[in-house]
Amino acid sequence: MLRKFALRLKVSLVVVIFLALGTLGWFSAVGPGKVDSLTLAPKTALRSLNGGPRLVSVEPLPVSDGPMCQWMPASAGRSLRASLLQEQQSGRGSEAAARTASIDVDRAPARVIRDDYPTYSSVGLDLTTNEVYLQDENLFGLMVFDRMTNTPPTASFSEPKRRIRGHNTRLEFNCSLYVDPTTGEVYSVNNDMLDHMVVFPRGADGDVTPIRQLHTPHRTFGIVADEETQELYLTVQHPPKIVVYRKKAEGQEKPLRTLEGPRTQLEDAHGIAIDKKNNWMFVSNHGATDRNGGKFYPPSITVYPLNAGGDTPPLRVIEGPKTQLNWPALMILDQQRGELYVANDMDNSILVFRSTASGDVAPIRTIKGPKTDLMNPTGVFLDSKNDELWVSNMGNHSATIFPRTANGDVAPKRTIRSAPVGKTAQMIGNPGGVGYDTKREEILVPN
Amino acid sequence: MLSRTMHDIRYDEVHDELFVTNPFANAVLVFRGGANGEEEPIRVIQGPRTQITGNSDRLDIDTVHNEIFLPLYNRIVVLPRDGNGDISPLRVITGPDTQMSSAGSVAVDSVHNIIAVGTSGTSSPPDERYGDLSYPLPPKGSILIFDRTANGNVKPKGVIGGPKTGIVRILQLQVYPAKGWIVATQPGRADVEEPPGVYVGVWSIHDNGDVPPRWKLAGPNTALKKPRGVVLNPKNKEMIIADMRLNAILVYSFPELF
Repeated sequence: MLRKFALRLKVSLVVVIFLALGTLGWFSAVGPGKVDSLTLAPKTALRSLNGGPRLVSVEPLPVSDGPMCQWMPASAGRSLRASLLQEQQSGRGSEAAARTASIDVDRAPARVIRDDYPTYSSVGLDLTTNEVYLQDENLFGLMVFDRMTNTPPTASFSEPKRRIRGHNTRLEFNCSLYVDPTTGEVYSVNNDMLDHMVVFPRGADGDVTPIRQLHTPHRTFGIVADEETQELYLTVQHPPKIVVYRKKAEGQEKPLRTLEGPRTQLEDAHGIAIDKKNNWMFVSNHGATDRNGGKFYPPSITVYPLNAGGDTPPLRVIEGPKTQLNWPALMILDQQRGELYVANDMDNSILVFRSTASGDVAPIRTIKGPKTDLMNPTGVFLDSKNDELWVSNMGNHSATIFPRTANGDVAPKRTIRSAPVGKTAQMIGNPGGVGYDTKREEILVPN
Repeated sequence: MLSRTMHDIRYDEVHDELFVTNPFANAVLVFRGGANGEEEPIRVIQGPRTQITGNSDRLDIDTVHNEIFLPLYNRIVVLPRDGNGDISPLRVITGPDTQMSSAGSVAVDSVHNIIAVGTSGTSSPPDERYGDLSYPLPPKGSILIFDRTANGNVKPKGVIGGPKTGIVRILQLQVYPAKGWIVATQPGRADVEEPPGVYVGVWSIHDNGDVPPRWKLAGPNTALKKPRGVVLNPKNKEMIIADMRLNAILVYSFPELF
């Protein structure tokens, strides 16, 4: 009996000691400061199950200082998207109203696509000084060379004797020129935006102001002078017309006469030549017209009386597949022999027609082929004194000189080259827009 | 059938086609993408029914709704994208309420269903250097914003113009529907070789009134002298610009736009 009592006493003492140790351990681990945060937990731990839900913890939300989303009832008349859009609009409108300045982005281009060499739209000679003028439509200017310049194949290019270039010259996209055979004055015609013709004296050099300026219609292209009557003939691409001025006209002086109207059959007029012997004027046309709502006709050369004005129909029309005309550009007439020389731009050729030609006729001579180095020829000049034909090429930075009677695939006698051999021109000419082909990753530049 | 004068070109990446105008023949020419040499157009929209008259200089295409938009000074003519021949327009926006007197460019946002129309004018006096050779002054330029489906004599939803905009005239336009941007070239006076204040500006389609562009690409580092053409290359985050006076194409990195 005494042994059972002692055993019970030992077990009780062990339990008490265990409980005491446990309590001490709890206090030392948690501490009095942490009691509050766990006030609920021990209480919860000590709660007994009651078979139902009950709140066991509360944690307040942080204070909000922004707008709350408005509740949109299901019966709302507008869609949520429309509402959001309107909020954006009124928000952007407000933002726009508050905007008084732009974010200026003054950064250099990553890439520049530009032809650094001159490209020649037209050519003319001063046979008194034996100089040739080449109209540079790319870098804007007139390059003047000695007539006998011939760029060696090993040279990068030939240096001009003079350059007429700079802001004061008002040369920009000039397409044609005329050199006065007596005075050596150089007439140069602007084709786009500046709308004027400028005149420089013989020997002009550098950034010089023209001695005369004449306001011309928008899109004036070709020029020729009648030295006998002292008149200038100019073509206008569109609306197509021929305007004739006093040769010394300047400022806002009006033309003496104008050839225009549907009966003229002028269709995107380009080059012009005159025949004083027969009193004819020849005009090259690309063929696009807005008559009757718009139509494409074949390219042509229309022939008129020299003094024609108003809505006068042509005397003759050279047109058709045998002519090989393809964007015919500037022209010049050999009056003595009755031969008309045509710079045939998109065919890379020079065509020679009889001045009496009419209808669908083949040229009497054609300079064309790889040996000729013709590439997008747009200008021609006939040097009757030296029996040579000059051609300015927009496609390869050069002027090529042929014997007057050249025919077929013949090499030029001389070449004035203003870029390294084989360098083709980019032919970017007054880019008014640009596109991007995302499939081919190509930049499209309409000219 | 192309002329030596083309002031816009649009690439249809859905159908792989190129769209250009011939302003002298009142025609819209459509070429296959990648066309080369003397390749003929695959479609030509031309004729009296089209109402394309008077220098159809620029255009834009909507490949979602299959439409072509042509700005023609006092009206916008809308034609079917796949049209051919002498076809009638789907819609014509014209009339005194439109405020279009010299609309020369257009861009269509088929996501937000608006079109932006660029008009030309000048608010600066004649340049004294050139005396009598300066042009007379037309009205101020602006960007007009219409609903894409607008028809007839309707008022624009928005008119961006005024001295704070710096707009003398607006030429080629683009839109970036992903962000709702209008990107416009402002080349200054036509008859001045290097006009002051030229830029390429970016507005929002929601902008209205006399507000300057959000971004203005301008300044000596840009080298710009007379920007007339602009197109975006979103993949490379670039803005490509055609500059008349430089006779060049310039490519700018412009990530903030995208």
